[in-house]
Amino acid sequence: MNIMKRVAILSLSLVAAVGFSYNGIASAATSGKIVVAGSTALLPLTQQAAKEFKKINPKVSVSVSGSSSIAGPQSVSKGAATIGAVDWDATKEVPGFKAFTDLKAHKVAAIPFATIVNKANPVKNLTTKQLQDIYAGKITNWKEVGGNDAQIVVVNRKHGSGTRVNYQMKALDGAAFMTKGENYKEVGKSGEMVTAVDTNPNALGYVDFAYVKGNIKAVDFNGVAATTENVIKGTYKVWSYGYLVTKGDPTGADAEFIKYIQSGKFQNGSLTKLKFIPIDKMK
Amino acid sequence: MSKIEHLLTNSYEKKISKSTYFQNRLFKFFCLFSVLILGLTLLSIIIFVGRTGLLVFKDVSFQEFFFSTTWEPYDDKFGAAIFILGTLALTGLTLLFAAPISIGVAIFTAEIAPKWLKRIMRPVLDLLVGIPSIVYGYLGLTVLIPLLRDITGATMGDGLLPAAIVLNIMVLPTISRISDDAISSVPSDLREASYALGSTRMQTILKVILPSAAPGLFTAVILGMARSIGETMAVVMVIGNTPQLPSDLLTPTAVLTSNIVNQIIDVEFDSTWNHALYMMAFLLLLISNLLIIIIRKLRVKGA
Repeated sequence: MNIMKRVAILSLSLVAAVGFSYNGIASAATSGKIVVAGSTALLPLTQQAAKEFKKINPKVSVSVSGSSSIAGPQSVSKGAATIGAVDWDATKEVPGFKAFTDLKAHKVAAIPFATIVNKANPVKNLTTKQLQDIYAGKITNWKEVGGNDAQIVVVNRKHGSGTRVNYQMKALDGAAFMTKGENYKEVGKSGEMVTAVDTNPNALGYVDFAYVKGNIKAVDFNGVAATTENVIKGTYKVWSYGYLVTKGDPTGADAEFIKYIQSGKFQNGSLTKLKFIPIDKMK
Repeated sequence: MSKIEHLLTNSYEKKISKSTYFQNRLFKFFCLFSVLILGLTLLSIIIFVGRTGLLVFKDVSFQEFFFSTTWEPYDDKFGAAIFILGTLALTGLTLLFAAPISIGVAIFTAEIAPKWLKRIMRPVLDLLVGIPSIVYGYLGLTVLIPLLRDITGATMGDGLLPAAIVLNIMVLPTISRISDDAISSVPSDLREASYALGSTRMQTILKVILPSAAPGLFTAVILGMARSIGETMAVVMVIGNTPQLPSDLLTPTAVLTSNIVNQIIDVEFDSTWNHALYMMAFLLLLISNLLIIIIRKLRVKGA
């Protein structure tokens, strides 16, 4: 008897829960539900934007996640996300990735990328040639580029990362990465890249400016300091536009969200504070 | 007598027993239904993962997938041998450390430790089982790897050794708790008989208790193995994620789980790459099912 009662209550509550959640989905669709997936380079920006957007539109639910750039357009194509964040124009073909012709891309920011080392590392400047040789496995000791006598630990992002695509195109001038080696490892996300360089005094990596803090520092590139001013001036070359992609033209809450990120208030406010660069400042 | 008969024939009582009967039947169907749902779910997982995985052999030869060590999916090279070898090596290495140490812990808690210490050790081991694996992984990444680098002078410290150490700490409580149960359930007659013949404690433990607890100990070790084979989050943080055969234990490499979790989000649906990852998942599924079958067989023997 007792067990039956419990079973009955359990099944009733199960039915109720299913009913409520179904109801929840149905009502959310009318008030707007935004799901952002993709780039971890853009993650600080999309997270901040989501926080502010929710304050203005409390009825809209915004969920933001980051794994890698290619996951952005793919999740939107599959319908798993409504907005994809990607560090390149996904509607056009880039080396290694096909064009997503069913998507619309919206430029939201310029993302500057920095070559990073541990703060304990005395190296201040690296040239395109030096970076090419390090990432190809030809230079393996910091001594050869003006540092301590220690083996260079090369940290790379995995295939599918937009930071990797842009870094390869701009910092390495298109030269190939090595894919294996005694001193080579791959990490999944920007945050993991930071941890890897943070915990190893001989590591070399790259992230966008938003992640440069704590025990890591940005080195100069071809004698130019990695600052947003130098990107705007046009002297620091390692940057790219960041895009939000949607399936066709965005509607409802998605359109509002993208418009909010593109608004002057956000571009000159939080976006600049996070060391991204407003799109209208770039020529 | 007549009073009892009267009670038995009471119609009210009959109703109760009828509804009890109905409820019992209903409950039985509910349980049966749950079991069926569970079986169906399991079966469909195996079929789905297996079918998707086997599609890889349309584009990649059997030989390449299992014996090639070149994993360059963007160049259409899908050799999974590194990950298979890596998984086997990592599991072997883990057990090499974990089995003797955790059986030692089990012997200590079951046979040697005084009662008050037993009362502390058992709950502590249970608590260790409950710690999420990502915590172990993070500690491995931020504490263990720099430590290994300092001790050995290695360049990076990522590789099979830190992964095995992290897994070791994770499976140790599992193996030692189950071994502890197996040792504790050895009948005390055996101990007394052994002591009566004049054996020392060590002789009793090694020659009497361990042999008679052996099936339980094997089960414990295999369960530990099953846990370490499927472990992902902790391993991916310390293994280095480079598809290469390592020359030593502190060279970055990759295993089945770490490679799947790293790439599955970024891979296009219905591509060969996606199928290859599913095939790797299917392999893991087969290995862990095999281990479970071995446990069942051992239990039957032990009983």
